Amino acid sequence: MPPWARTALSRIATAALSLWILVTLTFFLAHLTPGGPAYAILGMRATPVGVNQVNMRLGLDVPLWMQYLTYLGHLCTLRLGYSFLLNQPVAHLIVMYAANTLLFTSLSIVVGTLAALAIGMVQGASWNRWPGRLIGAWQLATYATPSFFIAGMLVLVFASTLGWLPAGGITDAHMTEPGPLSYARHLVLPVATVSLIVAASLSRYFGQSVAEELERDYVRTARAKGLGLRDILRGEVARNALRPFITLLGLYLPALFAGSVVVETIFDFPGLGWLLWHAALQQDYPTLIGVVLLIGALTIVGNLAAELANAALDPRLRSRTLA
Amino acid sequence: MLVAGIGLATFVLLLSFIGPLLWPVDPFALGPHSVLSRPSLAHPAGTDDLGRDSLARLISGGATTLTVAIPSAIIAFLAACFYGFAAALGPAWLDRLLMRLLDAILALPSLVVLIFFAALTRLDAAHLAALLGLVSAPSLARLIRNEALAQRERDFILAARQLGASPFYIARVHLLRVMAPILVVNATFLVGDTILALSALSFLGLGVQPPHTSWGGLLESGLTVAPLGAWWLIVPPGGMIFLAMLAASLTGRGLLARAGDRL
Repeated sequence: MPPWARTALSRIATAALSLWILVTLTFFLAHLTPGGPAYAILGMRATPVGVNQVNMRLGLDVPLWMQYLTYLGHLCTLRLGYSFLLNQPVAHLIVMYAANTLLFTSLSIVVGTLAALAIGMVQGASWNRWPGRLIGAWQLATYATPSFFIAGMLVLVFASTLGWLPAGGITDAHMTEPGPLSYARHLVLPVATVSLIVAASLSRYFGQSVAEELERDYVRTARAKGLGLRDILRGEVARNALRPFITLLGLYLPALFAGSVVVETIFDFPGLGWLLWHAALQQDYPTLIGVVLLIGALTIVGNLAAELANAALDPRLRSRTLA
Repeated sequence: MLVAGIGLATFVLLLSFIGPLLWPVDPFALGPHSVLSRPSLAHPAGTDDLGRDSLARLISGGATTLTVAIPSAIIAFLAACFYGFAAALGPAWLDRLLMRLLDAILALPSLVVLIFFAALTRLDAAHLAALLGLVSAPSLARLIRNEALAQRERDFILAARQLGASPFYIARVHLLRVMAPILVVNATFLVGDTILALSALSFLGLGVQPPHTSWGGLLESGLTVAPLGAWWLIVPPGGMIFLAMLAASLTGRGLLARAGDRL
């Protein structure tokens, strides 16, 4: 077997191991905490007999290790159970809500990243002078402001006071056939919130690497040859500063999802974060575990893909990932 | 930067813990005749939808938030030190096991883990602090482990090991001292992290439970009356979280700059 194949295999095995640990942890945590689904379903009407009946119906009366094996079997065939809150299969729910989150998050990433690149370029070119310092102060202020406060202020100004945009939801309730414009209007404030945060945090890293690149010898050579700062920035500097930035973007995605949980709840935007929140409030375990596992699996698979892609692109990394 | 950070932190702490002495108004007293009133002399920060005094609620919310968030930052710090040192100084199989476990945990954003636990059981303040601490620990645990692994190969620690010093002795006497700057800086950032996480959780209705107040909870209840334009219920709690985070961040960065030449 060639060494790169062995590297890839060992990486995949590690990722699979992480995934298995995650599944096992969530299963046992959910099953070993007092209370349990029977109490959540029956609520005030819980009697010992009723609890026993529900447990038998849900297959919770067999030994825990048998439940665990059944659960693993179901997961392998993507049967995630049934949401008793929304009365639908969890897998179906996730697909439905994921589409909204995907639209919302990808729009925010695109807007936020483009802004971050432009802002970072300006900041890097004027690191210790006023535009750069001002941008630095703005980045610190945005970092210190929680997403729900930014969202709240946007709602207060643009929805409550000015009345330009809707405060939440995904379409206008009074329309029977909402057009794309209605969707777009509802997306403006949530996307603005998240892309503001993305732009502030990513532009700091990009600005710093642009500033570092500008210190290097090849920049001095290019300047000596008579190239203007603008051309140097757009050419080599941008390309070199972009590489660590792409890795960072990959690491940043899970954090972004966590942020979208809060933003989706504020704007009552029916995405995965909203689903997670409702499932948590109503103790809808199948949905809760389904969404949690999906997020974990996406992160693990995403990290694996980034690592393999990096190894494929850069021959120097192929052997290093072996360690 | 350090001075500004410590000044802000002092302000936030004084307001939350000495505040009740300066503004001795009951945060839970209902005021049926002054519902949603604007800031005035009688109520400097206005009143909420049940006529309760907002300034008193802001002060008591600060005390709750900080008495949960600061202990949980300490728990997170101790847990991260213990985990990181155990991985770095223990046998190789233990390191591998602990790091795999950490990989699996880090695959989930900490807010998602918190929501998961908060859904399983309703938490009181002590459990909330413990959970918040454990959930905030993993990334610092990895940082400490990597740093300790690098320091472990330095000559004086190799010498200590040759002389038969136990891993506990090395961690306590040598590593804690060498790594003190990096540990102090990260402990400061941790306080900001736990304040933010607790506020987000309370904002979602899963953290500090009513009747107790918290900055996140106050902001959430302020937003429910946002359509009425009650800005005085949104700006102050959000502003307090902002100031607390800014204080932690400025102090951390200031310390980092001070420690720069020692690292």
